[in-house]
Amino acid sequence: MRRIYESDALHRDDDPHTPNEKDTSRRVQAVRWVNSTLLSRLLLPTGIAYRAVSVDISTPNDEFAPGESVPFVVTMKNSLPTPVTIPTESLVLWTWTVDGVPEASHVPLRDPPDERGAFVFDRGERKQFHKRWDQRFKVGNDEWEAADPGTYTLGAEFNVPAADEKGLSSETIVEIRSD
Amino acid sequence: MSLLEVNDLTVKFYTEEGVVNAVDNLSFSIDRGEKFGVVGESGAGKSVTALSVMRLIESPGHIESGEVLFNGENLLEMSDEEIRSIRGNEIAMVFQDAQTALNPVYTVGEQISETIRHHLGYDETEAKERSIQLLDTVGIPDAESRFSDYPHEFSGGMQQRAIIAMALSCDPDLLICDEPTTALDVTIETKILQEIETLADEFDTAIQLITHDLGVVADVCDRVMVMYAGKPVEKAPVEELYYDPKHPYTVGLMSSIPRIGDERERLQTIPGTMPDLVDLPSGCSFHPRCPYAEESCTRSEPALVDPETGAVATDDDEHVAACLEYTGELTDGLGYEVTVRDSSDDAEVETVAGAKASSAVDTDVPDAGGDRRD
Ligand code: SF4
Repeated sequence: MRRIYESDALHRDDDPHTPNEKDTSRRVQAVRWVNSTLLSRLLLPTGIAYRAVSVDISTPNDEFAPGESVPFVVTMKNSLPTPVTIPTESLVLWTWTVDGVPEASHVPLRDPPDERGAFVFDRGERKQFHKRWDQRFKVGNDEWEAADPGTYTLGAEFNVPAADEKGLSSETIVEIRSD
Repeated sequence: MSLLEVNDLTVKFYTEEGVVNAVDNLSFSIDRGEKFGVVGESGAGKSVTALSVMRLIESPGHIESGEVLFNGENLLEMSDEEIRSIRGNEIAMVFQDAQTALNPVYTVGEQISETIRHHLGYDETEAKERSIQLLDTVGIPDAESRFSDYPHEFSGGMQQRAIIAMALSCDPDLLICDEPTTALDVTIETKILQEIETLADEFDTAIQLITHDLGVVADVCDRVMVMYAGKPVEKAPVEELYYDPKHPYTVGLMSSIPRIGDERERLQTIPGTMPDLVDLPSGCSFHPRCPYAEESCTRSEPALVDPETGAVATDDDEHVAACLEYTGELTDGLGYEVTVRDSSDDAEVETVAGAKASSAVDTDVPDAGGDRRD
């Protein structure tokens, strides 16, 4: 007979997004009780917080065959030896774009609650997000179109007003070949 | 009026990785006394659906839209006090890790009695009597003396039964069971499922049974909803789902049901894993894993339709599925057959992959394996 500690009961892995579960790979940033948020707000003016954090987007290649998935990595870093909080416009903390189109979708993907968010970085923390663009644009609620051959700008930016002026955005160019 | 009616429910989680599309535009209803199954792999959105019904979604989760009507009243609009009185009284829930719901420092009996006293206002003696009666009903032998045992003196199966007794103690109208037997041995699993079924009939309680195992659903449920990546992909009465599955994902789940005494190599399991709910594949979310996927599957997201007519599903449709095959958008069609074999006493369903074994679309298929626990 299985005892509780031999079973999966204590490590519930049914749904990775159940809210009562601690998942370290997707740390919650929007909760108000994160002490480092408060701490960094007390210690750091927002202007310095902006300067402390950098973002970079990169792809393994510059050229891709038509239809081939374009993988990209978004790296964010806090260069200060103290926690930093970037206040964001909504609970969406950052976004990626293709030619300025958020998440390659011409239709709104969500309707976030009317609440501001907080993107928290520990001292010297580096965060990395691995994503891919499947060379398609969403053009309707249930419709997608393939991107034509040509060059495209992949971008990543924090969800703050005028992210590029604050140095909280990054871009890279890829080419979809016509072969 | 249905006991529970969920309409266009959308739940998202705002994480630093991105926005998780946990449940997307989900609708279903459960009638009084009905046994309704929700099936899918990890990450299909089954538990989030159940937690939304109980209004237990917490930050960073948000119910973005939809309504959850219980006896005609929208649970999402109730005050915290109102929802608390519904939870436990009218809707009860049994989790996979129900054992952790038992407090190790109180006896099992005390915990059940406490629930009864709290919810039904019984006095101590009445509550004790009722608890012993319930422990007996859920098949705990020698219930009177086991009443004073601590949880660690109970086996896993008995703990789960005690939790079911606790859930039933207030005679709920709806019992949500989330993987109630996954942590248990197969033999105990069968017994517990039988008990849930018998008790539901006896108490006229509706059941929402959440599981990754289609075999479990077949034993217990009247109707089934199969979920994939936060969306329903097929809904049908249980026999129809078995004998005439309409969605390739359902077929894949069926092919991977292990059969006792079947020495042949198991038919294909579904290659790959559930997609990342932050970055769902374009078109049909199942296309990277579907053996029948075509170019159109990467461009259009299929709606739930009546497979016979291709018309958008309505509440009156018994059997609905979300695959482009039924709206005439596939060129080659679906290539599986279902054959019914007579084994010793039961009819058995076998699915056979058709001629078209692999997809014609250039997509990434992740490693086989996945996170199924069967
Ligand atoms: S729409 Fe295409 S990918 Fe989706 S289930 Fe049907 S055949 Fe498979």
